[in-house]
Amino acid sequence: MNLVRGFATTFKHILEGPVTVQYPEQERPLRERFKGKHALKRYDNGLEKCIGCSLCAAACPADAIWVEAAENTDEERYSPGERYAKTYEINMLRCIFCGYCEDACPTEAIVLEHEFRLSFNDRRDAIYTKDKLIDPLPAGVEGTPRQTEPGVYTRSIPDMKNPD
Amino acid sequence: MAETVTISIDGQSYQVPKGANLVDAAKLHGTDIPVFCYHPKMKPVGMCRMCLVELGSVTVNRESGKPDLDEHGQPVIRWQPKLQTACTQTVSEGMAIRTSTAKVVEARDDILEFILTSHPLDCPICDKGGECPLQNLTMAYGPGESQFLYDDKQHLAKHVPLGELIYLDRERCIQCARCTRFCDEVVGDDVLAFHERGRKLQIVTVSDPPFDTKFSGNTTDICPVGALTTADFRFGARPWELSEVPSICPHCPVGCNISASTRLDRDSGGKKVIKRIMPRQNEQVNEIWICDKGRFGHHHSLSSNRLQTPMLKKDGAWVEIDWKTAYQEVTSRLQKYGEKVGFLAGPSLSNEDLWEMRKLARRTCRDCQIGLWPATMTGLEAVTQAGVGVGTHLAALGPESAILVIASDFEEEAPIWWLQVKQAADRGAKVMVANARPTKLDQYAKCVVRYEYGEAVEVLNHIAVFARRHDKLNQTLVEGRVDGFAELEADLKGKRVPKQHSEAAELLLDTENLVIFAGNEGLTLAQQAELMQAAANLLILTGHVARPNNGLVAVWPGANMQGALDLGFSAEATVSLLDNPPSMWVIGDADPVAEDARAAAVLDQAEFVVVSTQFMTPTAEQADLVLPVLSFAEREGTFTNAMRRVQRFYMAQTPLEGALSAWKVFAQIGSALPGGDKPRISAALVMRDIAQHVVRYAGMNYTDLAHVETQFPDVGGHDLYYGGNAYANHGGLGIQWATNAEKENYRLTVRPVSAEAPKYEDLTLIPIRLLYNRDVLFEPSTVMHARIPAPYADFNAKDAAQLGIIDGDQVVISAGDLQINVSARVNGQAPTGFVLLPIRLSQLPVPAAPAMCSVQKVEE
Repeated sequence: MNLVRGFATTFKHILEGPVTVQYPEQERPLRERFKGKHALKRYDNGLEKCIGCSLCAAACPADAIWVEAAENTDEERYSPGERYAKTYEINMLRCIFCGYCEDACPTEAIVLEHEFRLSFNDRRDAIYTKDKLIDPLPAGVEGTPRQTEPGVYTRSIPDMKNPD
Repeated sequence: MAETVTISIDGQSYQVPKGANLVDAAKLHGTDIPVFCYHPKMKPVGMCRMCLVELGSVTVNRESGKPDLDEHGQPVIRWQPKLQTACTQTVSEGMAIRTSTAKVVEARDDILEFILTSHPLDCPICDKGGECPLQNLTMAYGPGESQFLYDDKQHLAKHVPLGELIYLDRERCIQCARCTRFCDEVVGDDVLAFHERGRKLQIVTVSDPPFDTKFSGNTTDICPVGALTTADFRFGARPWELSEVPSICPHCPVGCNISASTRLDRDSGGKKVIKRIMPRQNEQVNEIWICDKGRFGHHHSLSSNRLQTPMLKKDGAWVEIDWKTAYQEVTSRLQKYGEKVGFLAGPSLSNEDLWEMRKLARRTCRDCQIGLWPATMTGLEAVTQAGVGVGTHLAALGPESAILVIASDFEEEAPIWWLQVKQAADRGAKVMVANARPTKLDQYAKCVVRYEYGEAVEVLNHIAVFARRHDKLNQTLVEGRVDGFAELEADLKGKRVPKQHSEAAELLLDTENLVIFAGNEGLTLAQQAELMQAAANLLILTGHVARPNNGLVAVWPGANMQGALDLGFSAEATVSLLDNPPSMWVIGDADPVAEDARAAAVLDQAEFVVVSTQFMTPTAEQADLVLPVLSFAEREGTFTNAMRRVQRFYMAQTPLEGALSAWKVFAQIGSALPGGDKPRISAALVMRDIAQHVVRYAGMNYTDLAHVETQFPDVGGHDLYYGGNAYANHGGLGIQWATNAEKENYRLTVRPVSAEAPKYEDLTLIPIRLLYNRDVLFEPSTVMHARIPAPYADFNAKDAAQLGIIDGDQVVISAGDLQINVSARVNGQAPTGFVLLPIRLSQLPVPAAPAMCSVQKVEE
């Protein structure tokens, strides 16, 4: 009896089509929540969301993130608040793509996106610096650092939504 | 133990010291009463209401005088109907508190909710985030949510500079008044105050220049929120990323214990660097405070001007050489010049450096002179006999103590002692200031003695005469252990004591304890030596030796002058070196060329000068060979502070590539000389050598120097709300070496001192020391530049009128061959006939001792 049941399974699968995807010619769609390479986000006006708080680095279980912060001025502004990330590096060899950094981020600046094809020829190249991580500027918007009007960005971090 | 009382905390009975504050008493037994405004170093104010507890007391039967008992035989406690603030209560017998009942929990909840109504919650970017008492207490006691509307939060200025060192964030401030109280109570500088009322209440600075105090950084430590942050550290790192390395401040003789907060740094090539300096608790040295010079003056170790390779001058141009060649150069020169080599050690070399330098000198020739720079103070003999007793605790001095500060501008020369003496005066200690000019300590002194510059010794002699006449001598000590009393007595006999001095003497000698701080302002080296001896005489005769809180402290002009003296270096040797210049000089971390014209001329004549240095100083420029050495932050070692406490500092920063510890350099050079042994492999082993050969350091080793004990108040633990962000001491409390007076079998010697004072008839220039100057170790800290005055000289109004100069004029002071360009100040500081000239405000030398001068106004 068991024998029959076993063969039944085998024949059933013979009749099904193949599941093999011919990667890279063919690509399977990724899930919405797939966690790939990180991106540092910008606001619509082109300013960086990251405030250099280093909470991602603190949350990181693999110690893959390195942040050094500096202060914004109206002459040289990177982000709307008082502080921005002067150095932002992720070691992609260390990263385990757990997404804790995304959870820890108070300004939703770091997001794990869908890029998963990371390759490097040198261990050093695995350290992605800020310019590799940051999103491109929206069309027609001035980049960072930029000069801004005094008195416009006075909050230390952009107003967050009501926690409720 | 002192008298105790029994109190009950949460139903448990405890013995606590009588008169203690309730918060402190509870903390002693491990019960946390959260606070924001209370601080164990300051008086309670009960402003924040966070420490609410249920308070009760045992009811006592009026007839029997015994406590009423309930049916279980327990004393009946009458609880007060409302919650009380624990910080404003002093413990008393039978006091009972409950700290965790529902009523208390709810009250704390409400207080925190209220404090947070307008708190911005920008913890992610706040420098305090991660070591913030408000954050911690909210997590521990706070409500999960707020009834207040988020959109109703008050928005205030977030970036208000209070002076150039401290930033205020008005939104974060919870109005606990710790900073204003620190400035008022602890420092005595009226620089911060509250402005407006109610929700508009805010901290403002009321001084000009703003926040004008030398201790401003401490307010950021005790601020229970991130309202006060330093401009220097701002956004430098998150607190949890920092690793703390115990260290010792290299700037002044107090020897404050500091903690170097270090972190890897991309800009410095991935090296571990110091991000900030924080105080480290050592109650017998600096308590939990440090001055702004110590806090912000560490940037020299990261300066890009540091030297990284040995350099030899060939035909007037510098050639980089490797260390091996450098050693050979020095060794061959040492052998060539033999007897004609002079050694000079700077003020902030570690004991290990000094020991190896001394060994090198001894190996070079039998009686090579080992001099000390700056050569302005001496008096090791006096300190060895009558130095302050082991265990001296300035922070505990009260009405039973007297403190004499003579010939020193205390706040400028030893800021933390100034702060402690000022607080001792507030507690009732009798502080006496003797100086030729007004200093800031005068306002806290019970008695101020003015003398003419040069007459400092006379003051001490007069006090000794007064003591003899009024039977204030310690006869047992004098008869039993003191040599030379007869001669001294004969010398003092018949001296007339001016009324002012006898009043001062009466005040000083009427107390149980007496500490004398002796400086060198307006004194030549010889006079200063006499001053030290006069102080020792007085202390020995009156028996103010061999006990804690009694004795002599010299206000040396450098961090490790005491260590240098202990190891055989002396200012007298420097003088003799300058009088009979050797052909070759070995100079360790000193800059005589920038400080003294005569030394510059002498060094210019020398055939070969070797300088170990961190920077291309004027002395290095004039030298023939420079050897790059490491700063205090990049290596291990010990400093001995002016209270003779030997203290360890540890390697905080990745050592600068190419530079070596000075002791290693000297040891390497020495090892190539005949009879040289292999260099030691670590500073700890050098200390072992010192302990074997130097009696004062006998028995000391790095393990014992690193010994720590629990101190009161217990700061730096998990309870940041209590003591602030000062760090607990994990690096060692240090060991004080005992004076001869403290060793039973040593005899003490007194001798007559010459009080002969030169009559300064013409205009005389007096060099004075300022805290903020252009010293080679301090200059690279650019954040402090705004506080360093431009070169100036103080003139007396009378002299100024005679010379036709007014405040702000540019003048040229000529003293000897020197022409000094300064701006004139006429503000009542200088006595008639004297010009006060701060040293090291520029890279040009000024006289190191009182000198005749003439003044010319520069016409514009």
